[in-house]
Amino acid sequence: MTSSLDQALIHIVDDDAALRRSLVFLLDSVGWRTQAHASAEAFLAAYQPGVPGCLVLDIRMPGMSGLELQQVLRAQGRTLPIIFITGHGDVSLAVQAMKQEACDFLEKPFKDQVLLDAVTQAVRRSARQLAAERRHDQAHALLQRLSPREREVALRVARGLPNKLIARELDISEKTVHVHRQHVMEKTHTGSAAELARLMLRADPADLD
Amino acid sequence: MNPWKGPHGRCIGARIRLRALLLVMLVAVLARPPAAYAQTAPPVRIGVLAFLGAEVAESIWSPLVTHLEASMPERRVVLTYYDVDGLRQAVQRRAVDFIITNSGQYAALESEFGVSRIATLESPGVPSPSQAIGSAVIARADRRDLNALSDLRGKRVAAVGEDAFGGFQVAWREFRRQGVEPEDFARLDFLGFPMQRIVTAVASGQADAGVVRACLLEELARDGALRLADFKVLSPRRVEGFACGLSSELYPDWPIATLPHTDLRLAKAVATALLSMPASSKGYAWTVPADYRTVHDLFRDLQIGPYAYLRETTLQALARRYWPFLLFFFAVLAGWIVHTVRVEQQVHARTAALREALAQRDAAEAGMRAHQEQFDHLSRLSILGELSGTLAHELNQPLAAIANYAQSLVRRLDSGRYTPENLAEASREIAAQAERAGGIVHRIRAFARKRVAVRERRPLADLVREAAALFGGMLPNAPRIGIADRLPPGAQVEADTLQIEQVLLNLLKNAADAMQDLPPDARVIDVALEREARNYRIAVRDHGAGLAPASTRHLFEPFFTTKPDGMGLGLSICKTIVEAHGGRLWAEANAGAPGMTFIFTLPADDLIP
Repeated sequence: MTSSLDQALIHIVDDDAALRRSLVFLLDSVGWRTQAHASAEAFLAAYQPGVPGCLVLDIRMPGMSGLELQQVLRAQGRTLPIIFITGHGDVSLAVQAMKQEACDFLEKPFKDQVLLDAVTQAVRRSARQLAAERRHDQAHALLQRLSPREREVALRVARGLPNKLIARELDISEKTVHVHRQHVMEKTHTGSAAELARLMLRADPADLD
Repeated sequence: MNPWKGPHGRCIGARIRLRALLLVMLVAVLARPPAAYAQTAPPVRIGVLAFLGAEVAESIWSPLVTHLEASMPERRVVLTYYDVDGLRQAVQRRAVDFIITNSGQYAALESEFGVSRIATLESPGVPSPSQAIGSAVIARADRRDLNALSDLRGKRVAAVGEDAFGGFQVAWREFRRQGVEPEDFARLDFLGFPMQRIVTAVASGQADAGVVRACLLEELARDGALRLADFKVLSPRRVEGFACGLSSELYPDWPIATLPHTDLRLAKAVATALLSMPASSKGYAWTVPADYRTVHDLFRDLQIGPYAYLRETTLQALARRYWPFLLFFFAVLAGWIVHTVRVEQQVHARTAALREALAQRDAAEAGMRAHQEQFDHLSRLSILGELSGTLAHELNQPLAAIANYAQSLVRRLDSGRYTPENLAEASREIAAQAERAGGIVHRIRAFARKRVAVRERRPLADLVREAAALFGGMLPNAPRIGIADRLPPGAQVEADTLQIEQVLLNLLKNAADAMQDLPPDARVIDVALEREARNYRIAVRDHGAGLAPASTRHLFEPFFTTKPDGMGLGLSICKTIVEAHGGRLWAEANAGAPGMTFIFTLPADDLIP
């Protein structure tokens, strides 16, 4: 976790060059890696997902506004957390931003600690999300190895059904179920029904319903 | 003496030397391979002025033929001899490719047919090929009365001929320079060639003076035909490098010229051959072409040759020839003068009118400026009210940046995470942003002169009428404003007059802007004043296109605008003002008609107990 925080990248998008530079300076003072962009468009052109981090975003900008950028990222399925900063304590804007799952909403001028805390929190969230995504991908990959019949058996094993019941449900011999079950455990590197259940939940929480 | 040269007579001695020269040339020719076998290309035709007849000329020019044929083995060279008229006709008929003639005829043909020199003869004993030919006006040495050319007025003069260059024309120019014209002579006899006839005439007393080519006397003396001491040259002049007696300027030597139709490559080949031709034993050679402008100058002065037409261009001749045109010209001139005078008068009249109009416009502008100042002041006042909200935003930017830098610095100092570069950068930024914030504050202060809000009781109708009048003076073509006053008599409001006027001006301006695209007649603003419960209601209605419902919602938000040059502050300021007075401001789309109505209310002061 620490290592992934070390390589985290904080994106700063603000059309005011002086403020942009001051944010870089502030975040750099505690060791964050930063990348500053003068516009939402410039950020979109430069952004590369897959690295934990967050977006410090001015809400009012010429061209694409902060809220519009938030929508674009959501539409692209990006989970990068966003910290909005604004000159106005504009309640309606704040509500809108938070409804779209903004991480935080700061009014200028803000205490440095407030921003730094928000950034730390956002980066942690981002790292967690990335890790979860990675685990999900791994689980998904493991389960992809199963044959359709093995998958049917695995589902029932994860639900805790005994071999006899599984054999009856699938209209096969108990011995065959046993063989399938062993194959499943080998292919997914799991040792128990509970472990298999966790794996399948990671891959798709809806699977075991 | 130059054996190839001059429209003048030859002497016996010269002929003997010429034979010797030809012998030398012949040897040179024999040393080269004969050119007779290569005759496929058409011959090169050279026309030569032969003032002494073809036979003599041939003897002079045949070495040239020999040299050219040796230089261009594939071409045969044919020389044809003409007199002055014959050569001119040959050029006209394009019967020749090159011509060799005296400087005078060359200049004439250059003007008439565009012949173009490619080389000039270079003679010994002259300063340069450009200064080779001159005239001597001679008299007997015992004529004490004759010294200058001007002394020849009323005397008998002999010359070669009117067309002779060195034998007359060159001297003619000098006569003219000394104020003597041929008509001033008692007699002018043209004796023709050979030129010795003139010397003889002078010596015998048949003529008082004679015009001969310069150097002729010296050549004759050398041959023993006369004694130089028996003669004198009139108005003698000395030219460095010119050894003979001379009465005139010096002119260029004979040229060889191409015709316009002559093949350029051939011209180049001939020119090259001529320039590489070795000098004859007497020192004659061809050299780069001289400048023949001096010859043209002479013709122009004398108004002869190519410039003969000049002689006729006297005013009288012009008048005779062109009198119908002159008549027409003077008629046009007269018409033009009349026209000019009329235009002048009109300009005077119109200038006066214009001046008057300008004065009126200046007065109108001054009035408008006064109104404008008032309006600006009003704007400033109420924008102040908006400052807290909007300029705060502008101020926030530098302040936030300053805060970020300052806090970061503290942090870095605490953690030891700083470098001199860091510190310098942050300090510079803080200073710059503080300056930026200061600038904003300064703008605000300059923007808003302090003013204490003054509320006073005023009849509402008066207030509205004043604002309408103010508005009418503010715009050059303000729409008509119709005021429907349905207020009870004596309806008063307690208000900051300036601020309420500003609200009205703003609404009127918006209404006018909304109707910009309408024809002027259709631009009408209706203002209705009514009582509504305990309020008075002021409705400003335009007939413009109206606004989209989406826009209507944001109308009163700061910085919302539908105008390309608008700030989006007007209506939000108006709303602030109206609300500060205890009233309301809103907009309604006109029912059943395009356009908008903006309505605001003010508490009815006279109804409050």
